[in-house]
Amino acid sequence: MLGFMDYVQNAFYEASRWDRDNSYGTLNATSRNILDFSTPEGLRFHVSSLSSPNFATSYTLGSIGLVDGSLSYLYSSLSLSRLAAKSSAIDLHHLVPGYRQLQDLRQPDEPWWWEIWHQGKRIDRREALLYGRLFLPRSTLEALYLRRLSPKTQLKISCVSDSRLPNGGTILAHLQHDAAKHNTEYIYSTDSALFGVRGLYNFGPDPPSTPPLFEASRDSTISTANEAVALATVQTPSQPHGRFSAGGEIYYGLLNKSGGISTGLRFATLPSHTGFPYTMTLTLNPLMGNLSSTYSVLASPLLALSSRFDFNVYSYESELQIGTELWRQKEKGTTSREDLNWARLKLGQKILEGRSKDPENDMAGCLKARIDQRGGLGLLWEGRVKELLYSCGATIDLKGGENMMRSFGVEVQYSS
Amino acid sequence: MAFNFNWSPLTADASFYTRAQELLTTALNKSPKPPIIVDDILVNELNLGSVPPDLEILEIGDLAEDRFRGIFRMCYTGDAFLTLKTRVQANPLNTYLSTKPTFTSPQPLAASSGLTIPLQITLSEIKLSAFIILVFSRQKGLTLVFRNDPLESLKVSSTFDAIPFVRDYLQKEIEGQLRTLLMDEVPVIIHRLSLRLWVPEYREREDEELARSFQDSTTAEKPVDPLASPPQDPVDISGNILDASQIASLSLDSGPEMHALFSQKNLLRLSALTDSHRTLSLFTPGIRDVVFRAWAGPTERGEMHGNSGRATPITPVMARGQSYTGDSSTTYVFSEAGDARQYPSRPGLSSFGSAASGLGLGSNKHGKPHGGRKRKHRVVNLRKKAADGDDVESVSGDSTTVSGTMSSAPSESGARPVTPERREGELITPPRTPVTTAEQKEPGDGTPLHFRNLTPRPPRRDDAFESTPRPPQCTVPLPNSQSQSGSRTAQRPSLRPSDFLQATQCPVEKRPKLEVSSSSSVPLQQLSPSPSDESSSGDMMTQPWLIKMAGEIARKVRDQKAADSGFWDRRNETQEEPPPAYGS
Repeated sequence: MLGFMDYVQNAFYEASRWDRDNSYGTLNATSRNILDFSTPEGLRFHVSSLSSPNFATSYTLGSIGLVDGSLSYLYSSLSLSRLAAKSSAIDLHHLVPGYRQLQDLRQPDEPWWWEIWHQGKRIDRREALLYGRLFLPRSTLEALYLRRLSPKTQLKISCVSDSRLPNGGTILAHLQHDAAKHNTEYIYSTDSALFGVRGLYNFGPDPPSTPPLFEASRDSTISTANEAVALATVQTPSQPHGRFSAGGEIYYGLLNKSGGISTGLRFATLPSHTGFPYTMTLTLNPLMGNLSSTYSVLASPLLALSSRFDFNVYSYESELQIGTELWRQKEKGTTSREDLNWARLKLGQKILEGRSKDPENDMAGCLKARIDQRGGLGLLWEGRVKELLYSCGATIDLKGGENMMRSFGVEVQYSS
Repeated sequence: MAFNFNWSPLTADASFYTRAQELLTTALNKSPKPPIIVDDILVNELNLGSVPPDLEILEIGDLAEDRFRGIFRMCYTGDAFLTLKTRVQANPLNTYLSTKPTFTSPQPLAASSGLTIPLQITLSEIKLSAFIILVFSRQKGLTLVFRNDPLESLKVSSTFDAIPFVRDYLQKEIEGQLRTLLMDEVPVIIHRLSLRLWVPEYREREDEELARSFQDSTTAEKPVDPLASPPQDPVDISGNILDASQIASLSLDSGPEMHALFSQKNLLRLSALTDSHRTLSLFTPGIRDVVFRAWAGPTERGEMHGNSGRATPITPVMARGQSYTGDSSTTYVFSEAGDARQYPSRPGLSSFGSAASGLGLGSNKHGKPHGGRKRKHRVVNLRKKAADGDDVESVSGDSTTVSGTMSSAPSESGARPVTPERREGELITPPRTPVTTAEQKEPGDGTPLHFRNLTPRPPRRDDAFESTPRPPQCTVPLPNSQSQSGSRTAQRPSLRPSDFLQATQCPVEKRPKLEVSSSSSVPLQQLSPSPSDESSSGDMMTQPWLIKMAGEIARKVRDQKAADSGFWDRRNETQEEPPPAYGS
């Protein structure tokens, strides 16, 4: 389950209309969400609040052996007043990352759209987000600075300060340039002077240029942002049903003279696809000979499946992982909508609509499970009880003999 | 007094290496491993090499027969090597990211995907230089502590030598790991190994634990209290083994009967203890809840010798050690109790060498004045044993005749009881040599009777061997671990150049030697002091007394042997039967 701060940060992306999915780093986000979910360990409480439209705080108290905790603060220059901050009101889909449905590409805003003139002076500012988190017993400090430099670029600087790290901490600068059709990222880490370049190219027709949606631009809630995107992409008969993307990344550490490289392909269906949505990725690390393919499918609004097969051509090591994400709806009297679900499916209406925010469609919880060929089993149940969000999970080693239970944990989250 | 540090016997014991490898493997996997190592580290090969370390004695704090405390300076530039096997992560990005906080990780998509490959690392050219505090106690084993960081340099060669980054990384990581290993783990490993070697209780406990781990028994180990409960391996007062039914017949409240039950183990220990003192052996078995007072002066010692037969009722043997001294440079004479008994069961020829040298070399090596105190003691001992000089002379002089007489001896001695005369004949030969050899001059090699720094001179192999010929004796564990001591003793003689010499020079003598050594496997020692004296030159003792004494002792020995026979049979099945062509 995402923390409140991640939730707010995602809301900032949405509000500033930054497409997180259009990046090489998130090429296989879907399968990662379903297969690589992290299970909580020990007992952990989060209390968070969006005290003002621009300011959020969060406190965490946990105990794994000894008690630890963290304080975090977030400031967003963009008003997030319409964000659902109450834990009773948050859509679980935004807290439980699952199948990522690619949205239609959207032509980036023209720079002049962002200009605001007042009495002959430009008064518009670039949106920015500041975030800091202090882990208490270890006195580790995390800081994040996020800024939309222009409609096409975003700068992200993250730092960690910890006395146990070499040089006392690290800084990572991440400059992203998103031109819809292609996306490039430049990364620099002070740790061993690591440089990185990533690129992603989307095949297919250019996205239609969209008129500025003034009424939606200040809209800060995720759901409305989604709608804005949906509005922006006017359905045309010639719209593609899927998108094919290819990308690559290369890293090189100047100090340790070592690097890494990988390339990847992805095919994912778009919302206009009439069947069930699916995503396929294939990544290759030519240096290490690692080949990884994933296939994820959203079989119904409540069920997503994913599988991944890894193979190394040098060591002949292989790994297979299968995971699922199963949603449970709140117990309610069956409405006429649900009765007609099958009919709408028959008519080719999108499964995605079943996932859209709808008070009637509120989810009670989500079960995630994964298993690999070595007997490692991961289970995670996330849901909501009245005002509280909780997630409990366990990792189990089926071949572990007596101590099969590797970890178990419960997280409780409250926000207002 | 001198110290002999023997390096190579470690290589002689096969089980030592396997054991050390096990301990090293667990030690290496205990501490958190660097992220590049993704699998357990297995010690594949371990070799201590043939070059011993330089040891310089800086200080000796405490010295006794069963304990030692000293500070050494050690320099090692030997040819020891260690081969490790493990699996490593070949992707540098993967290991790099695994050590960094995720918050600032660039989170590569697939560039950090792992590639694990098997790796073999060889550590060689190890250079050590350290101050060592060594504390040895018979009961508590050997404790060794480094006062400083001992590792000067080492060479790490691996599968990745071609990649400079990986090579440097491995070198750095392994040096660090080795430093902690040497400082923290090696003392523990050495301590455990020493406990296993010298403290029989520990080994027994370990074995028991091992056995217990297999059978899931919930009964806790109980200390043996001979007064409260019958011992586990009971023998009666004369050494006969009692079976369970007999024990049962002895009810607990039968009073004095109870106290007549002794544990065979304890008796063995007691005998080993007395033996060790008579031979100045470092080997003293630990006996719980007992205070043992060593002999204070020569009078007492003499007394003990007089009683030796009585004092160590069931000690099978004594003193092959005496004959050993003839050809070796050691000052210490180690107890051969466990050793000598092995001879019959061990047909290897290599063992004869030691005895042979006593015989053959003895005549060549005389002409030295008596050494120090220890020597004197030894001489006294020998004189008592020495038989008629003519006999000995003939033995050493003419090997063929000896072989004749000797070979006849064992067959007869096999039939018990043995007449004292024949016994004497056999006995004489081995101990006889020392009388003459006692005077041998030991150049400076290992004998000095005072403390001496052995350090300076490790280099040549021959020297190393010569100066440290005997040490294994001190590691001879208890009489009851036959196989172990057997293997060890079998190895030892071969290390000594003099033996080789002997063997090559007069191979004919091997035969007789064999006989001699076999004969020593029975309690000859106890017999020996008797009639030999009469013939020994310059003896003060009067003949009648000696004869009487000899007769008495011989009788005692016979009795004991009769009583022991069952006991020894159990220990060594081959004893009763044909055996040892040369066994008695």
